[in-house]
Amino acid sequence: MAIDCLVLGAGQEVGKSCMVVSINGKRIMFDCGMHMGYTDSRRYPDFSLISKTGDFDNALTCVIVTHFHLDHIGALPYFTEVCGYKGPIYMTYPTKALAPLMLEDYRKNMDRRGEDEQFTSDHIAECMKKVIPVDLKQTVQVDKDLQIRAYYAGHVIGAAMFYAKVGDAAMVYTGDYNMTPDRHLGAAQIDRLQLDLLITESTYATTIRDSRYGREREFLKAVHNCVAAGGKVLIPTFALGRAQELCILLEDYWERMNLKVPIYFSAGLTIQANMYYKMLINWTSQKIKETYATHNAFDFKNVRNFDRSLINAPGPCVLFATPGMIVGGFSLEVFMQWAPSENNLVTLPGYCVAGTIGHKLMSGKPTKIDLDKDTQINVRCQIHQLSFSPHTDAKGIMDLVKFLSPKHAILVHGEKPKMATLKERIQSELGIQCYCPANNETVTIPSTHYVKADASGTFIRSCLNPNFKFSTRSSTDKSYLDSNKSKAVSRLSVSDDRATEGILVVEKGKKAKVIHQDEILHMLGEKKHEIQFAYCIPMPMARTEDLSSTSHMLCGFDKSTLISRLSMILSDELSEGNILDLGEELQVESFRVSVCSSDNCPHRLSSSLQNGSESVFFCCNWSVADEKLAWKIISIMKNSTL
Amino acid sequence: MGRVAELERRQSAMELHVINSIQQSLDNNQPLSFQALASLRSLIINPATPDSTLSSVLDALTRSLQLNRDPVFLHHAVKLLSDLASHRPHLSPFALDLLRSDSLFSSASPRLVGESLSVLLSLASIGNDMDAARFVSLCLGPSVSVRQCLLRNAEKLVFRESVLLAVFLGFTRDPYPYVRKEALDGLVKLCKNGDFDDRDVIEGCYCRAVELLRDAENYVRSAAVRAVCEWGRLLVICSEDMNKQDSSDAVFIQLGCMVRDMSLDVRLEAFEALGKIGLVSEDILLQTLSKKVLGINKDKAYKPIEGLDISVSAVAGAYIHGLEDEFSEVRMSACYSLRTLTVFSLRFACEALNLMMDMLSDDSTVIRLQALDTIHHMATSDHLKVEKIHIHRFLSVLVDSSSVIRSMTRKILKLAKLPQFELFKLCIDGLLGNLEIYPQDEADVLSALFHFGRNHGKFTVHIIEEVAPEMEPASGGKLSFDSTRVAAFLVLAISAPLSHEKDVSAIPPRIFSYAVTWLGRISYGLSDIMNQEKLLAYLSECSRSSTISLADFKINEALLTVEGDASIPLCSKVDSPVSMPFWKDSGGISDYHHQEFLSLGKSAAHAEYELGEHSELRKYVNLIFKKVKDSWSLVELGCTTEACKGIRACKEEVASFTTESPGSFGAVAFTLQYLQVIEMLAKVWGHLRATKMLNPNGVGKLELLFAKLDRRLREISNRFIGLSKGEELQILDLVLVACLLRLSKVEICCCNAAMKLLSSTVAHVEYLHKEGSIEPSNFVTEVKKSLHDADSSSSSSSCQPLLFKKLLDSFSLQQFVLYGTPRSVHAELAVPGNDSENPLPFIPGIPASIPLAITLHNVLTESRLWVRISMGEESTQFVFLDLNLIRNKKRSINVVREFTFVAPFYRTPKAVSFTVRASLGLECFRENVDRVKVFGGPKCELTYLCPEKEIFLCKSTECKSKSAFT
Repeated sequence: MAIDCLVLGAGQEVGKSCMVVSINGKRIMFDCGMHMGYTDSRRYPDFSLISKTGDFDNALTCVIVTHFHLDHIGALPYFTEVCGYKGPIYMTYPTKALAPLMLEDYRKNMDRRGEDEQFTSDHIAECMKKVIPVDLKQTVQVDKDLQIRAYYAGHVIGAAMFYAKVGDAAMVYTGDYNMTPDRHLGAAQIDRLQLDLLITESTYATTIRDSRYGREREFLKAVHNCVAAGGKVLIPTFALGRAQELCILLEDYWERMNLKVPIYFSAGLTIQANMYYKMLINWTSQKIKETYATHNAFDFKNVRNFDRSLINAPGPCVLFATPGMIVGGFSLEVFMQWAPSENNLVTLPGYCVAGTIGHKLMSGKPTKIDLDKDTQINVRCQIHQLSFSPHTDAKGIMDLVKFLSPKHAILVHGEKPKMATLKERIQSELGIQCYCPANNETVTIPSTHYVKADASGTFIRSCLNPNFKFSTRSSTDKSYLDSNKSKAVSRLSVSDDRATEGILVVEKGKKAKVIHQDEILHMLGEKKHEIQFAYCIPMPMARTEDLSSTSHMLCGFDKSTLISRLSMILSDELSEGNILDLGEELQVESFRVSVCSSDNCPHRLSSSLQNGSESVFFCCNWSVADEKLAWKIISIMKNSTL
Repeated sequence: MGRVAELERRQSAMELHVINSIQQSLDNNQPLSFQALASLRSLIINPATPDSTLSSVLDALTRSLQLNRDPVFLHHAVKLLSDLASHRPHLSPFALDLLRSDSLFSSASPRLVGESLSVLLSLASIGNDMDAARFVSLCLGPSVSVRQCLLRNAEKLVFRESVLLAVFLGFTRDPYPYVRKEALDGLVKLCKNGDFDDRDVIEGCYCRAVELLRDAENYVRSAAVRAVCEWGRLLVICSEDMNKQDSSDAVFIQLGCMVRDMSLDVRLEAFEALGKIGLVSEDILLQTLSKKVLGINKDKAYKPIEGLDISVSAVAGAYIHGLEDEFSEVRMSACYSLRTLTVFSLRFACEALNLMMDMLSDDSTVIRLQALDTIHHMATSDHLKVEKIHIHRFLSVLVDSSSVIRSMTRKILKLAKLPQFELFKLCIDGLLGNLEIYPQDEADVLSALFHFGRNHGKFTVHIIEEVAPEMEPASGGKLSFDSTRVAAFLVLAISAPLSHEKDVSAIPPRIFSYAVTWLGRISYGLSDIMNQEKLLAYLSECSRSSTISLADFKINEALLTVEGDASIPLCSKVDSPVSMPFWKDSGGISDYHHQEFLSLGKSAAHAEYELGEHSELRKYVNLIFKKVKDSWSLVELGCTTEACKGIRACKEEVASFTTESPGSFGAVAFTLQYLQVIEMLAKVWGHLRATKMLNPNGVGKLELLFAKLDRRLREISNRFIGLSKGEELQILDLVLVACLLRLSKVEICCCNAAMKLLSSTVAHVEYLHKEGSIEPSNFVTEVKKSLHDADSSSSSSSCQPLLFKKLLDSFSLQQFVLYGTPRSVHAELAVPGNDSENPLPFIPGIPASIPLAITLHNVLTESRLWVRISMGEESTQFVFLDLNLIRNKKRSINVVREFTFVAPFYRTPKAVSFTVRASLGLECFRENVDRVKVFGGPKCELTYLCPEKEIFLCKSTECKSKSAFT
């Protein structure tokens, strides 16, 4: 069995996340995003790779969308309404609520730019009707074999990581996630699962970020300094996510510093979004959830609605305006008015797409920006670059991979060289096989497959009862070898042998079966064989009388006397073992010794026959387990006289 | 009435019916029906059922148990018996006997055994019913619930450690996670109580716990974290000295791996555990504050045990993560554990301070408070280096809306020592700002300014020079001393002469006279340092001369002793309004930390604080005791100075507790005394236990220290009544340690005396143990054993310093928990109307009479009191004070007794005038140590109940004023 992962987007790049995973006969599409950097066919994932015929309903079991960012959901209306996919789509409740806002906003902007429309408002509405919302940690049985479960991912409100399991194969697709909490969202949270595959984002594959307190402090300082000097602050942001986080931050600071400078939200989307946020408290961080009963953190006290007439009103203010990166719309309008004054401040997000005004402002500090042929903006205002990011950093990715310890990992949603570095780290530090495929490539990894087996009654009974054993595991510490002083390291360790007592039997034409080890002989109709060692050794006699022949000696001393003499010798010399005198025979554990009267004993070595000396032959036998002990006894016997 | 009687009649009829029908069915050898069982139950739980009926119910059950083997019936029978036992305590022995019987507890059905076991356990009545073999065989049985129950209660069914160890370690392999968890918990308990020195065993347990850190279940992982912590500490202890540091580092790193766990509980446990590992290298500590792997730690791997290699990168940024955790509990825990680690490295403390400054803007008050506490801790351990970038953020906390936070901030400022004038000025501005916004803080702000000024003599003088014009009376000759700002500067100014720096005489004397006009307000603020009279005396002294010779000035001495070793509190009654309302709840603070403290307290003994008006105070006091216990671990590590510093800070804090409420005086005095004992003990310990040889000069100093320690111990054991046996025992433990310390050093040991004291103390301890049926601590048992050995081996019991040294190793300071309200035994001694101007008359050579006005507090009538009168160094006499006689003369009140006693002084010299010093001493019965006695004096050592009083006498004819007492 294998898991096939077809990367349709976000392979070695950021944008249009889309991944089709075939797992035990089920095909799941994770995310259906669009690329914001392209306007041609590269904008959407190449859906034809899923099904040549365009019969997506049969080709895919379901679509799962992790969160509402356009690079994760942007192509969904196109895929369902234009390409004609009609199967189930899963996303979390907040994503379902907020996705139409995002899509609609994008469609309008596209409209405004005069690009040809890929989908209409109706398409969005129709598409949303197909969506089945899920809750966190709710296990959804998609069909008989496939179950999925959402885990909290941080990042943006409603973002989730998805766990999918078909039969014995299980995997997690993280989408975008954040391992550290921010002002309004918690950190990603997932159980320790048995996974064959983990597909994780790797936006910051090599960056390690510092504590967020420092970032917040810088931002607040910049804003405070600006308003204290009577300047205006423009914060161009996307309507959802960052705006709320920064606003909570400012609100908190305003409260603590007792500031009265107005904070404005540009009308429209942001206000509507705030309304949703207020309802989606359950998806925010612990702190907001806790204080929500007394004060809803999204109920901003200092925030007012903005009116166009206020753009040139005197006095300081802070304004949140959409869209981010100053790509146009209201934020551009305000920017044109405020940029010429050096009192004012513009904060930019950490990442701006090339070609936007935001990008121009970030790369060097231009004094003039040409908007189009006729308009030119004088830029004298201060620029502050935010270093907030809702993505986890390299350490976070490593932490997650380490925590989940999957058998294989795939990196997506990142830049190629950085991903390669991270891939190396995962392989060398964690010992997990890791891949970072490019778009339209397929990665195949083996998956777990369990065989069902019957168990015999004896085995089950033995399994119910604990059967642990302690052993002192000995090993020789190699590092001591060079100092010529080999030191044995021993450690107490414990093992439970219940499972090892079972033996898997697969007979032709029958189901596999686990039986207890005691049953195996009976089942095979065989007998148990044991290996016995035997050795017949001579022991010299002390010369007590003038007797010369061995046979004489044997007459003089009967066997039991010899044995009891031997017993005395052994009990003097031997520290371990319990010596049993059985009359004609001595027994120490499995080691048995008796006087050998036959001259042609097969266990006798010819060389041990010595002329002239009077010896008694003892026949010894023992089993493998007591080999050490046996040789110890034999050496005692060799070195002593009766 | 008739109705009630009717009801009773009906009920007894019903009872009879039920019993009869049951008897009948039993006689016919029929099993009881469920209906019958139900009616039995109703009889059992009805409180009105007479005992006779219940006895017959019990009989019926006994008989039916012999008849019936149906598991469902047996299940019900167990339930009935447990109800019976819990509802009728006097019948419970019979019910328990039945439960223990063969048919239930010893039956073959594991489920039944489990049920009866849990009932027996819940009734706390399982003792000798189980031997190890049975315990093990039940554990190894197939029933998981029984296994879990047995493991959880294993330590109640007291067995040998070896059996428990084998069982617990074995079951960490169980496929059921809850069994694994119980097994791990069992290992933790075993490790805490047990005594293991077999390295194989310790390594085995440690490795198994480490393996389980990767378990799939959260609760197993958090149990594993605890186990790794405990066994890891044991592993460190049993490592060879050379490897100690490495093992300790390795355990720390191992635990550090868990701070990124997804489960809240695991993270909490992990941070708690990190704080418990004492000795950690600086490199590793620094690594916990940086997410990037530091160059020095790259490729550094630790290998505490074969096969457990671990890289330092695992702890990278552990505390960064902890302090920005989503859950305030984790942030709290991280803050707290950081606190304990700052002691070990200055560099780490400096780096950690950056983070703490961020925590000061956390949205939760409790965390801000904890952050301040951590900073305070750094300050007391001298690891606080404030830089300019910090100071603004730090001072912004002074305007925090929570008063607890402000007060804590000021507390830190009191300890601060700043290198630059600029920073000093910023702090002063901050305090003034605080005063302006929150006038209610005035007293504490003034106190803070005083301490702060005293720590920075030169800066203070400098700043006073700057603001001097402000403090001058405004034009027109009118004093405009109405602004608190001026008051603040005045306090600052008057603090300067008391600083330890030399060049501080530049404060113009008139400023001190201005301060006199503010006496009330200032003394209110400084009430923890000096009382109003002292302050006035000080101010007038300073204002008189421009060159102040402070050598003979008492305040300075007293202030110095506060830092050194305070013998007597400067003002007898500390009624400070600035008592630390440290954990006083100020609104919506979630009490996470509170709970934590409680749970910490529980580890020492169960801390069930009784409710009452002192419970608040007791809570603070017990927090102090906890701190003391924490500092003791420093002493054991050899950081005596740091520990003493911490204890002194505690003393200051205790001194600021209010003693207004009745009974609190004793508790506060007791706490102070305890702190002093511990401090002396720490000093002696530090001297003796230091590895370096004792230098000859040291012997004299050590003798002094010992003398002080003995005095303090005498005081604490004799000057307080109303202590419980447990509390007394803890004090006796300290006495034992002092004896052992003395005995462990040949140079200073006077063996016989110390041995005598030791054996008498041990005897007393034994007596108390028997009396209160308290289990003796490990330490005491050890001491007893070796004392016995020493006695039997050689009658002369020659000094065996090595033996005693070894004994000291087994000592660890228990956390003192104050339950009751100790009352302080003390006295006041006065000679009315006597001073240097009005001396008492005497005739040389003829005994003089000295009238003493004595007030006794809490002195028991059976105690023997002596008046000690000494003249100079050479002559001392004791006069016995018979309390029985006094009672006859004057009506005595229970606690406070006031009377006049005329003491004779026999050996009046041939002089015109002379002075004697008198004090009251209490005979300590336990310490009848032989010594050179003054004839007729007390047989035992005295504990003095009051400071010495100077009495002036003058030859009769030259007496200026006629005394009323002649």
